[in-house]
Amino acid sequence: MNSAPADDAHPHDAVLILFVTGEAPRSRRAHQNLTTALAASGIGDAAPREIDLLGDPQEAINFGIFATPALMLVDASGRRTVLYGDLSDEHSLKTFLSPLREPRR
Amino acid sequence: MNDTDTTTERGLIKRATGIHHLDAVTHGGLPAAGATLVVGEPGCGKTIIGLQILASALARGEGGVFMSFEEAPEQILRNFDSFRWGRQLRESSRCEILDGQAIKGGAFSGGFDIEGLLAVLDHCAKRVEGAWIVLDGIDQLLRRQPDSQSAIDQIVQLNDWSIEQGYSLLLTGKHTGKDRFQPDHLGGIEFMLNTILVLSNTLVDKRLNRRFRIAKYRGTSHNPNELAMLIDATGIQLPYAEPFAAEAVPAAGERISIGIERLDSILEGGVYRGSITLISGQPGTSKTTLGAAFVAAAAGRGERALLLSFDEFARQIVRNVATLGIDLQSPIDSGHLKVVARASWDGLVEEHYMAVLALLDDFQPDCLVIDPASALLKSSGADSAFLALERLIAVTRTRGITTMITSLSEADDPFGESSLSHASTLADTWIVLRYQINGGERNRSLSVVKSRGTAHSNQVREMILSSEGVDLADVYPFGSEVLMGTARAQKESEEVDLRQRQVKERFRQQQQLELEIDKTRASIQQGQAELERLQEELLAEHRDQTATDRGADHHQDSILRRRNPGQGGQDQ
Repeated sequence: MNSAPADDAHPHDAVLILFVTGEAPRSRRAHQNLTTALAASGIGDAAPREIDLLGDPQEAINFGIFATPALMLVDASGRRTVLYGDLSDEHSLKTFLSPLREPRR
Repeated sequence: MNDTDTTTERGLIKRATGIHHLDAVTHGGLPAAGATLVVGEPGCGKTIIGLQILASALARGEGGVFMSFEEAPEQILRNFDSFRWGRQLRESSRCEILDGQAIKGGAFSGGFDIEGLLAVLDHCAKRVEGAWIVLDGIDQLLRRQPDSQSAIDQIVQLNDWSIEQGYSLLLTGKHTGKDRFQPDHLGGIEFMLNTILVLSNTLVDKRLNRRFRIAKYRGTSHNPNELAMLIDATGIQLPYAEPFAAEAVPAAGERISIGIERLDSILEGGVYRGSITLISGQPGTSKTTLGAAFVAAAAGRGERALLLSFDEFARQIVRNVATLGIDLQSPIDSGHLKVVARASWDGLVEEHYMAVLALLDDFQPDCLVIDPASALLKSSGADSAFLALERLIAVTRTRGITTMITSLSEADDPFGESSLSHASTLADTWIVLRYQINGGERNRSLSVVKSRGTAHSNQVREMILSSEGVDLADVYPFGSEVLMGTARAQKESEEVDLRQRQVKERFRQQQQLELEIDKTRASIQQGQAELERLQEELLAEHRDQTATDRGADHHQDSILRRRNPGQGGQDQ
């Protein structure tokens, strides 16, 4: 997974951003799979931010996201990790979200 | 869609890439709306093609978008600074270079869409008002799809989108095997796209040879052959891309001097302007000297001449031929002559070919010497050196450049050498230089094997080099041979002696005749004097006769008067 400093908008807390493209089936599936996974993990209050690249393509450039859906996790230190795809692989999604379950320091 | 630099062929609109040779082989450019796949091994020039097309568009005042899934924008710009057009990419405000490499570090969970990518590309293309979009290393993105069919579907999606939006989309992708049209992980893509360019690398004699081929360009004429490709500071070069326009070859009737007076005479005044002359001979038979004489004569006429040497360095040539009375330094100084040396082993055949073309473009010579053209055989290259030479000759013919190429012969077989088998058929005039070994000495000979449009002599002649220049000796046949060297000199000496003896004999005969004339004249004068004396004697005789006759008449009259006194006659 890549790691890069986050922008100044998310400097402190871990943030989830889901990049989607309108009502594309994979985007809808990703939204559903993420919601399910967060609930199952007991972190349903994580409330991911959602960015529709069709409406704001400049955000894709800003975040370097050109494949959708993509789930970006910006941790407290501002480092980014990205999980691409419709998040249908439960195991990889669970692994990706695991930092959210760790107690905040 | 940007309509600049587009042509239409059978309904297909092509957009000029700005890469001259690429536009030549594609007969006008790549699809103005639709995707072109550029596929090849790592390091074979895919990215360069994309960026050069983009730079060309920028140079024309257009915009363009480039996205790399393999390298960071700054790294790309740094890598391409060395190209002449590299700065254009860095400085133009209408050049959008996007960083798509973040995908490399991502994890994947299921399939993904590219609508977001399309939205970004459209957004950027509109912002810079560009018609060219390059996705460099698209396989790096699509190979992340869990199944190859999804990846192929998205290539089709990209193609459809570019057609619909009117963009010229260039997709580059790597493959690692020979003769493959599709990037790794994208098997079957070749059936989905109408335009596919294949780049490849081959090692020939441990030298890298780049190749280019249009594997597919549906619905349009194009050059389908695999072509040599070079990459230099100008970018992509396809040396043999230009078609040969046979109808453009002029046929001048003017003859120009070859630089040796007697050889000009043999050729009825020299060679035709714009023709090709081949000089073949073994080492040391003065091929270079003839070439030097040729360019010196051209410069002497005020023309521009180029001497390209694969054997010697320029200064050495100038120095060496100066000892033979051929001055190359003066025309070099005046700008009429350029002497350029290249090492045949230090480049591919195609590189030499392009270098010569660049020299022709730059210097615009009227006359050209390539010495020896056979040195090209030592150059590496997947294509034949003969092909390069033939193309070069075609270019000089088309441009009306009178060309002399020299060729190194195999020992003792100047007619059978392999290097001549092609070139000699292309040459209008073929002159063979040889060594003739007779009487323990080696002499240079010259003969004209052929000269199209000229009733030339087939006589083998001795070629003489001296500080006065190059000349051909008089011919002294001796049986089936021609005397040369000392034998010729001895024969010449004998001829001189004979001529001197003949002169002396004639002088003696003339003197004898003059003596006879004098004697005769004296006899005539003597006879004339005798004649005059006799005439005077005769005249005197006539006078005496007259006087005598008068005395006799008077006496008779006296007698008659005495006999007839009555009639008054009476002697006193």
